[in-house]
Amino acid sequence: MRVEIKNLSKAWDGVVGADNINLDISDGDLVAFLGPSGCGKTTTLLMVAGIYKPSGGTISFDGQVVNEVAPKDRGIGMVFQSYALYPHMSVFGNISYPLKLQKVDKAGIKQRVQKVADMMGIGDLLDRKIAQLSGGQQQRVSLGRALVKEPQLLLFDEPLSNLDARLRLTMRGEIKRLQSDLGITSIYVTHDQVEAMTMADKIAVMSKGVLQAYDVPEALYDRPKTLFVAGFVGNPPMNFLDVEVTGSDGEFRARSEAIDLVLPPDRAEKAAAIKGKVAMGLRPEDVDLVSDASPGAAGLTLGGMVEGVEPLGREDLVGVSINGVEMRVLVDKTKGVKVGDNIELAVDTSKIQLFDKETEQSLLWA
Amino acid sequence: MRTFGLLEKGDISLTKPLDSDVPDVATGFRRPQRSALGRRFRATVTAYGFLGPAMALVLVFFIVPGILLLILSFTELSSANFNDPWSYIGFDNFSRLFTDRFFPKILRNTFFYVFTTLILFNLGLALLLALVTTNMPRRAGFFFRLVWLLPRLTPSVVYILMWRRIGQADPFGIYNQLFPEFLGASGGNLFLGGSPWTFVILTNGFIGASFGMIIFTSALESIPKDLLTAAKVDGASLWRIIRDIKIPLIKWPLLFISTYQTLSLLTSFEYILLLTDGGPGLFTTEVWALTAYKRAFASYAGNSQWAFGATWAIVLVTVALILAVGYVKMFKFNELIEEPRIENL
Amino acid sequence: MTTTEIAPPLPPVGLLPKAREKMGRRFAYGFLILSILPILVGYAWLIIATVSFRTEGLLPRNAEGGIGGFTLRNWDFVTDAAIWNAMFNSLLIALAMVIGVGIASTAGGYALSRMKFAGRKGFLSMTLVLHAFKAEMLLIAIFFVLRWLGDIPIIGNFIGFNSVGGVALVMIALELPLGIWLMKGFFDNLAWDMERAALIDGASRFRVWWQIMLPQVRPGLAALSLFTFIAGWNAYLVPFTFTIGTKVANMPVFLNQLISDTAPTNWNQVAAVGLFQMIPLLIFFIFTQELLLNIYAGGSKGS
Repeated sequence: MRVEIKNLSKAWDGVVGADNINLDISDGDLVAFLGPSGCGKTTTLLMVAGIYKPSGGTISFDGQVVNEVAPKDRGIGMVFQSYALYPHMSVFGNISYPLKLQKVDKAGIKQRVQKVADMMGIGDLLDRKIAQLSGGQQQRVSLGRALVKEPQLLLFDEPLSNLDARLRLTMRGEIKRLQSDLGITSIYVTHDQVEAMTMADKIAVMSKGVLQAYDVPEALYDRPKTLFVAGFVGNPPMNFLDVEVTGSDGEFRARSEAIDLVLPPDRAEKAAAIKGKVAMGLRPEDVDLVSDASPGAAGLTLGGMVEGVEPLGREDLVGVSINGVEMRVLVDKTKGVKVGDNIELAVDTSKIQLFDKETEQSLLWA
Repeated sequence: MRTFGLLEKGDISLTKPLDSDVPDVATGFRRPQRSALGRRFRATVTAYGFLGPAMALVLVFFIVPGILLLILSFTELSSANFNDPWSYIGFDNFSRLFTDRFFPKILRNTFFYVFTTLILFNLGLALLLALVTTNMPRRAGFFFRLVWLLPRLTPSVVYILMWRRIGQADPFGIYNQLFPEFLGASGGNLFLGGSPWTFVILTNGFIGASFGMIIFTSALESIPKDLLTAAKVDGASLWRIIRDIKIPLIKWPLLFISTYQTLSLLTSFEYILLLTDGGPGLFTTEVWALTAYKRAFASYAGNSQWAFGATWAIVLVTVALILAVGYVKMFKFNELIEEPRIENL
Repeated sequence: MTTTEIAPPLPPVGLLPKAREKMGRRFAYGFLILSILPILVGYAWLIIATVSFRTEGLLPRNAEGGIGGFTLRNWDFVTDAAIWNAMFNSLLIALAMVIGVGIASTAGGYALSRMKFAGRKGFLSMTLVLHAFKAEMLLIAIFFVLRWLGDIPIIGNFIGFNSVGGVALVMIALELPLGIWLMKGFFDNLAWDMERAALIDGASRFRVWWQIMLPQVRPGLAALSLFTFIAGWNAYLVPFTFTIGTKVANMPVFLNQLISDTAPTNWNQVAAVGLFQMIPLLIFFIFTQELLLNIYAGGSKGS
C-alpha cells in the first residue's frame, strides 16, 4: 500500500509534536522514522494509525485520505515497544482477538492463528498465559497479532527496545525478512540508527517535530543534507570544525586558527562564496595515521596530540587535540597510539561535508 | 502483484493482492469515511454515554438539591405551613438564624468540636500512632493499625452503643466500674452528665484518628531508608530523626489531613446525633450541622421547619464548598490530570 | 530546642543503648495497648452481653445478682421475621450500592481517564470538589427530591421517599464522587499501548472498556466493591432520615428503634442484634485485612 503524508502537523496547546511533515512511502517499502526521543516520530506514527488526530495536513492510503477513518478501518497492524498484549488472555486469545472482532468463523480463526503462530515460531505456545512468556516470545505474539488480520500496512513502535542486545539482533533480521517476504508496507519507528540503517529501505530522520531528511540509508550517510542529519547518523558521530573557506586560482583552503586544509574544488566551491565561518564535517573514519616513512603532503594533514584512547576492539577511538580543537578519529589498533603521542593525520578531503552555520543546510547537497 | 508468500502455503487462501494499482474494493478493506464534525460528535456522544449514569445521579442528588436548598432558605416551608409554603420571604430566615438566642453557643460549640477533635485525634493521635507503629516489627505495627480500623468498620449505631455502655451510670457503666472515683467519675451517666464533650470528642476522634494514621503510615513508610540510616550515622537521636526528617517529609499528608478532616468534622453529625442528640440540656453539644438537621427533621411541637433548617444548611454548604474548592486548588489536583493519549473515538 | 541543637551528638548517657531501646519498646507497646483499650473493652462488652442475662460493667450477672447468668435467650430474635426483613433491606441497599456505584464509577472513571471530549476538565474538577465536599448537608433538599421521585407513577413506589430503592439511590449518589475518582485513578495507571492495540485490532470503545480495560482494573473494582458494601451495610443516617417505620428499616435503623422505642431497653438483646449485624463485617475484617487498610487509605488519597 502506498502511504502519502502531506503537510502533516500536530500540536497540543502550543506544544508542537509534528511540524509540516511531507513524505511518500512506496508500496512494499519499510521506512524507518529515526530520531532522538521526543522528536515526533511516534506522534507521526500514531497519526498514521488513527490514534491521534492531525492538527493539519492529510494522510492518504493508496490515494484515499484517511484522516477521518477509524483505526480499525484502516487495515493496519501495529507492534508496540511494550508489546501491549492483553494479559488476561492466552497467546491464542491475543492473536485471535482481531479475527473475533471481524466475526471470522471459529474454524477459520483456528486455522489462521495456527498458521501465523507457526510462522512466528510460537505454534506450541498457544495455550500459554502471556506472563509465562519471555520478552522475545511476547514480541512474536505481538507481531503475530498484527499479522493475523493481513494488514496492508504494518506499524512498528520501537519494537525491539525492550529486548536484550542479542535477541534484538536476531529479531531485527527476522522482522526484516518477514516484511520483505510478505511485502507489507511498513513504518518502523526507532531511535537506534543501526536498526534503521540495516532494516529500512528509506529513512526519515526527525528532530523536534521536523522532518530533517528522507532518503535511502547510504545517501543519509554519504550526502547528509542538514547539520542535524550529519551529526545524528553515524557512530561515532561526525566531527565538526568551524572554518573559513577561501578560494583563489582554483585552489580552495579551509582555514581556522587551528587548521589549514586544501579542499577539492567540487566540495569547496559553494562554501567559498560564503563570507565568514562554515561548519566542516569530518567522519572519524575518514582520516589515516601518517607514518614517518611516507609523510603526507602539506595542506592535506592535521597534526595534533593524543588526549585519550578508547579501545573499541578492532579500532581505537582516539581523541586528538589539534591546536586546541578537539577531534575524535578512528585509528587501526595495531598502530599502538598512546596518550601524549604527537600524531599526524591524513584527511580524506573528498569525503568532507560543509554546512552553512546559519541555515544548517549542506553546502554540497541541495 | 505481491502476495503473502509465507501465508500462501496453506489450504485456505490467504493470498491477497497488495499492489497499489488494484482498487480498494478488491482488497476487501472497507474504510468508512465520516465528516470530521460527525466523528467529533460521535466521540462526544460515546463519552457522555459512559458518563451518563453518573451524571444523572449527580444531577438529581447533588446539583438539584444544592439549588433547592438555596431556594428553600428564602421560603417559609414547614410541615405546619399549608397556606403558601413556597412563598418568598427574603432574608427573614437568615436574620432569624443570626439573632437566634443559641447562635453564639452553637458557633462556639462547632469551633470547639472541630478544632479539638482535629488537633487531639485526627492529627495528633493519628501521627503518634503512625510514628509508633512504623517503629516496631511489621507484624506488630500491622496488628495495632488493624485494631484501630475496627471503629471505622463498625456500624455507627453499634459503635455508639459501645461508648454509651462505657459511659453509663452505675451499676451498668464500664468506666464507672473499672475506675470508681477516678478522673471525675461520680457513678453517674458520663456522656449525659459530667463530661458530655469528652465523650463526643472521643467517639468522633476514635473514628478520625484511624484515617490519618493510615495516610501517615504509608507516607512514613515511603521515606527512603537510606535517609534514616544517614541520620543515625550522623548521630541523630530518635526524637531528632522524627522532628528533623520524618515530620518535614510528611508535610503534605499532614496538610491534606488537616483540610480534609476539617471539612469532614464540620459537616458530619451522625455520631453526635446518636450519642447525645446535642444534649444534655439545651444545645450543650449541639454543632452547626446537627442544628440544621434537627430543625428540618426533628419536629419541634410537631413542626418540621424545613426552610429554616435549609438556611442553616446552606451557610454550611457554602463554607464547605469554598473549603473544598480551596483544597482542590491547594493540592493542585487539577495539575495531576493528564491529557488522554487516544484522540479518535 | 536551642540547647538540643548545640549539644554534640554524644552517645546516650546513663542507660546502655540496649536497655534504653528495651524501655522505649515497652513504652511504645504500653501506649498502643492503652490506646486500643476502649475499642477492646467495647467489643468485649458486646460479646459478653450477648450471652448474659444482664451485665454490670464487663461483668455478667445472673438474676440473683451473682456472677454468671449465661443465657442464649438474647438470640431469640433470630426467629423474628422483622429482623430478617431488616437484614434483607440492608443486603438490598448494600448490593444495590455495589452494583450501582460499580457500574457508574467504572464507566464514568473510564471516560474521565481515557477519553477526550468537550467538558472533560469541568467534570473532573466537579468530581474532585464533590469528593471533598460532604453531602450530609444536602439531606434536607434530597428529602424533597425523593418525595417528588415518589410521585412518579408506578416506579415512584420503588425509588421515592420511604422506599428501600430511594435510600439505595441516595447512597449510590453520595458514594459516586469517591468511586469515580478511585476508578479513574486505576484506569490512569493502565498502559495506553494496550488500548491502542485493541482499537487497531478493531474493537469499539465500549468493547475496549468491557473486554480489555475492565479485566485490568479488577483488583481496584474489588476494593471499591468491598468499600461500598460496608458503607451500604452500615448506612444509618440516610435510611433513618428517609424511611418511616419498620417495614423499610435496614439493620442499623432497626437496631436504633430497638434502643429508643422499647422502654426499658433490653441492652443484652440490643447487643446481640448489634453483633448479629456485624457478622459479615467481621468476616471481611478477618479475611481481607491488608485490603481493608489499603481501601481506607486510598479512599481519599484520590489515586
